[in-house]
Amino acid sequence: MLNQVLREIEAASGAVELGELKRRLGIDRGALEGMIQFWVRKGRLVDDQGAGVAAAHTGGSCGSSCAGYDGCAFIAKMPRTYSLPPEK
Amino acid sequence: MTAHDLAYSHREAFSIDYGREVEEEIARLQGVIAAHPPIVQQYPPRWLAIKLLEKDQDIQMRLKVLKGGAELLDQAEKSTAHLEAVIGDDSDVIIADHRYGFINGLVREAVKRTREDRLTLSDKIDQVVTSRLLGIPIFLVAMWIVFKLTADVSAPYLDWVDGVISGPFTNWAVAILGALGLSGTWVESLMVDGVIAGVGGVLVFVPVLMFLYLALALLEDSGYMARAAFVMDRLMHALGLHGKSFLPMLVGFGCTVPAFYATRTLENEKDRILTGLLVPFMSCGARLPVYVLFAAIFFPRNAGTMVFSMYLLGILTAVVLGIMLKHTLFKGKEQSAFVMELPPYRLPTLRSIWFHMWERTGAFIRKAWTIILATSIILWFLMAIPVGGGKFAETDVDRSAFATASSIVAPVLSPLGFGTWEAGSALISGFVAKEVVVSTLAQVYAVDEVPEVQEPTTFFEDIGEIITSFVGATLDTVKSLPLIIGIDLFDEEAEDEPTQLMQSIQQGFETASGGHGALAGLAFMVFVLLYTPCMVAIAAEKQELGAKWMWVSVIGQLALAWLMALLIFQGGKLLGLG
Repeated sequence: MLNQVLREIEAASGAVELGELKRRLGIDRGALEGMIQFWVRKGRLVDDQGAGVAAAHTGGSCGSSCAGYDGCAFIAKMPRTYSLPPEK
Repeated sequence: MTAHDLAYSHREAFSIDYGREVEEEIARLQGVIAAHPPIVQQYPPRWLAIKLLEKDQDIQMRLKVLKGGAELLDQAEKSTAHLEAVIGDDSDVIIADHRYGFINGLVREAVKRTREDRLTLSDKIDQVVTSRLLGIPIFLVAMWIVFKLTADVSAPYLDWVDGVISGPFTNWAVAILGALGLSGTWVESLMVDGVIAGVGGVLVFVPVLMFLYLALALLEDSGYMARAAFVMDRLMHALGLHGKSFLPMLVGFGCTVPAFYATRTLENEKDRILTGLLVPFMSCGARLPVYVLFAAIFFPRNAGTMVFSMYLLGILTAVVLGIMLKHTLFKGKEQSAFVMELPPYRLPTLRSIWFHMWERTGAFIRKAWTIILATSIILWFLMAIPVGGGKFAETDVDRSAFATASSIVAPVLSPLGFGTWEAGSALISGFVAKEVVVSTLAQVYAVDEVPEVQEPTTFFEDIGEIITSFVGATLDTVKSLPLIIGIDLFDEEAEDEPTQLMQSIQQGFETASGGHGALAGLAFMVFVLLYTPCMVAIAAEKQELGAKWMWVSVIGQLALAWLMALLIFQGGKLLGLG
């Protein structure tokens, strides 16, 4: 089951929506989220939210009107994404 | 009976079958555990064997200090190595996979779900909103409504703020300066023609931005914005670009600076640089006042559609350029897939919408009082310095240091239909911040304005007028709402008179373009859309992409903006438009 999730993601073309994956595999969203977190811990998926947070701590700001990436008022709420790590 | 016995005595009957290979290794480890009573006394043998196969570090640490622990750890290492060699995966993954499989089987047998149970309301809405057929059209309609609301429905409040700043507010400033004995001095000119014209020229657009941020907050809080990202992601991927490219681009609609930092979510360097090069084509909030002003001047009946077209043109330019670059300079391997977690739909709360709208509008106002104020003062001084004779602050603005310096770029802009020092100066100062384009135009044209002769009013009459006109603007805004669906409740005659600034800009563009003002205005809007972003964004670009790509982007964008504006103006003239 766990490997099936990873295989589905690897075989997909472009973005796979979590709900679509849930329906395809016939499992609960909560269970699927747990499996994705397992793969994130194992390093087989990368939580891109982490990349955004990293940018927040190193990024600059647009002068007086902005508190940087993390506190920027102009940043729209982005959907959370998990990617396959780059091939080494 | 010990606590351990109590805890585990009833669970012995239950166990997951991990498959032949794993069970053999569990049995082997249990054999070693059984030979060491101190370990057996502390841990259930099967549970411990599984933990060892999972490479549980806590357990490994605890075993090291127990008698026989080293032998057990040695066997555990052999067992995991054997399993990984036979099955071809990490032993902890093998164990977890079997557990999830067991749980899934258990749930399937125990829980019976109907189709309705499986599909939540969010799922049902998503079947339409994110469908391959309707996803893009729905996104475009949503965007169109946003800009209709922004440009058309906010217009009465825009006129109200303009009236307050150019009327009572300016009168109060003049009266205070008069009371201080500064009437008719350069200080009065600095305040009225510099600070109030410059900063006020931008603050006039606060209602426009409030409506934009209101619409965006509604889309974000309802959960639709995430769907838009998903739909556009899929389109980008289908066009050969990295799907995730659209996420930084969506950030770019607010501000280009964080959009550059958002490119870090792209793991491949080529994709990251390519996305970074495309991000500035997304119209940031600061460009909106320029579009609204020029759309109101040259396309008053289709202002909302024109603003929407600018945003769409930005996306199209980025997509076309992206495809071209992806197949040439940034040719690379196929993009890997990724999972996107869409939040469930929610009914936005008034408090949350107000918070988002005010947070963003507040940031815009803070910028007006800092960067735009400073730029307006500097520009006023440059306009006050005479070139070739004359006195400070009394010179004809056409013969000022600012006009002289700005007129250098005018010949380059002539083929685009706006080869004047005024337009050139606005574009140059727009390098500081895009809002400054409008404040500069307000300043350079304010100097030429003939002050309207007004009846003197008292402070309380002014306050009364502000309140009355606000109520009128609110009623007009309510009447404007049906404009979104094309119903015009306003009388033909009741159309607003263009302001003095709008008339001055129109005349300037008509003269510079030889009577093709609308074409020149459109070319100017497209130039502002495509040319170099503000200096802070360029600094962010240098940090993220490096100096080489920053220069490629700056020069490339200037060239592209010039070519597109040329195409629109000269092409339009050839076709007999405008």
